[in-house]
Amino acid sequence: MAKMNGKERMLMALSCGQPDRVPVWELAFNEESIIKIARLFTDDVPPVKLVHQMDLNERIRLLDTLYMIARKLELDGLTSIHLFNTLAIDDEHIRDDWGRVYFVGKEGEAIPVQGPVSEPGDLKNLKIVHPLEQEFMMLMLSIDRLGKDVAHVFHINGPFRESWAMLGSIEKLLYYYKKKPGLARDLARIGTEYVLESVDKAADLGADAIALVSDLAFNQSTMMSPAHYEEFLLPYHVEINALAHKRGMKVIKHSDGNLWPIMDKMVESGFDGMHPIQPQCMDIAQVKAKYGGRCCLLGNIDCEQLLPFGSEEEVDTTVKETIAAAAPGGGYIISSSNTVHPGCKGENYVALVKAARKYGTYPIQIDA
Amino acid sequence: MSTLLDDIKKAVREGEEDTVKDLVSSALAEKIQPRTILEQAMMPAMQEIGEQFSRSEAFISELLCAAEAMHAGIEILKPHFTGAIKNKGRVILGTVEGDIHTIGKNLVKICLESAGYEVLDIGENINAQAFAEAYIREKPDVLGMSALLSTTAVYMKDAIKAVRAVDPAARIIVGGAPITRAFADQIGASGYALNAFDSIQLVSRLLK
Repeated sequence: MAKMNGKERMLMALSCGQPDRVPVWELAFNEESIIKIARLFTDDVPPVKLVHQMDLNERIRLLDTLYMIARKLELDGLTSIHLFNTLAIDDEHIRDDWGRVYFVGKEGEAIPVQGPVSEPGDLKNLKIVHPLEQEFMMLMLSIDRLGKDVAHVFHINGPFRESWAMLGSIEKLLYYYKKKPGLARDLARIGTEYVLESVDKAADLGADAIALVSDLAFNQSTMMSPAHYEEFLLPYHVEINALAHKRGMKVIKHSDGNLWPIMDKMVESGFDGMHPIQPQCMDIAQVKAKYGGRCCLLGNIDCEQLLPFGSEEEVDTTVKETIAAAAPGGGYIISSSNTVHPGCKGENYVALVKAARKYGTYPIQIDA
Repeated sequence: MSTLLDDIKKAVREGEEDTVKDLVSSALAEKIQPRTILEQAMMPAMQEIGEQFSRSEAFISELLCAAEAMHAGIEILKPHFTGAIKNKGRVILGTVEGDIHTIGKNLVKICLESAGYEVLDIGENINAQAFAEAYIREKPDVLGMSALLSTTAVYMKDAIKAVRAVDPAARIIVGGAPITRAFADQIGASGYALNAFDSIQLVSRLLK
């Protein structure tokens, strides 16, 4: 088979086809992770700092460091993050244009803790926010720096996350699914409108795929019942997937946890890929057996224990086993089981990429 | 009497707050003992929904609504108890340093409260010293720590060390997505529960 570029590999796999080799991609690298991996290649790295504390020049320097890693490791795709317009409240909290307050942990993840809505009446006074051009700065820079030979994935929070962020609490939204379904539907609609605008904007700027991010499950099961998924999320997922496809983009759904109770419906909604098939609660061989050929699988390399605490040899073994289980016939993209967070060893991430190249050439020749 | 208790049980299980309030008032009017209402209708209802939750036959919405309904019923019952409602033990719960995820901790709280424990939630982003201070202040029978991230789970070890410096025999339980039994053993926890409902058995075992 002729050698493909990264973008061709990613798009082929997302179409459930078989590229020349298993593509390598990540949903995200945190700030500290970028620095840790970059230090394996150069001493010229920026200081560790969270994005929301950086000025524009510092952001660009950090992103250029990420692009250097992408080139050195020949990553097939890169995810650009929606850099929300936010205002710092104190060292640990920021506020976005909706009025949602986030706690920003040491690892850089911003988690909504307070929202502008608690009762249906609050919707009347809610100021509707639209995505701003400058919030797509990373996507524009990524395309400019890396060109179109790699797949550009744009990270958008899904309607579940957008809905609960308005309330500042997942539990409140899940409670309202049963007690105030009208408010839950209104929040899903508002969130979906924002997502649709973001999808359109990402397409205008040249993204190849969307990563629709919001956790719908935990290790044991889904957070919501299958009936609530069908009522409060499925129609919106269908709508988002339809627009992305119309605009020529693929859609990767990211959710941690055990998604089995809603997997059929999620695949039916039109997602092209499912990430990250968390190894603690979903067996990728079983997922492949049931959905292979209908939906691309992404991820599954454990970032809870293996990448933070394992050895490079153990990473090599896991990558080999995962490729043997998930890659035959195509439709698999390798990545960590969530993101390369600051707890992961940089050396182990490089070992993951190297092992993917060692074992991931098609046709796959590993005994399962 | 049994029909009324069955109806209360059903209403709690289905999260029907207003119905629970009405039925509990009716039961009291019929001179059913408050403890009977609590122990033969409300707690078994939560036990049932908790068991369904642990089998993934019920979901978080159902558990939250049932807990709200039970709390509503307890508010009606409270003035009718002659003394304080006797509990099986005192538990404090917190999410570790750097982590502000609440959902796992809150589900454990619901399950333990519904099983008759007094639970004090000391919040999120709790560092080792704050856990130790809370332990000294509240004198719990069991202290629980939660973490959702593998980057924050590592802080449990420091927190356990700080609490054990205060009381080497402290009963400390841990849980959360990245926590395994092996990790719990490694950091010196007294116990680990795979899910919120299992924490009831764990606490019960530790307090025997």
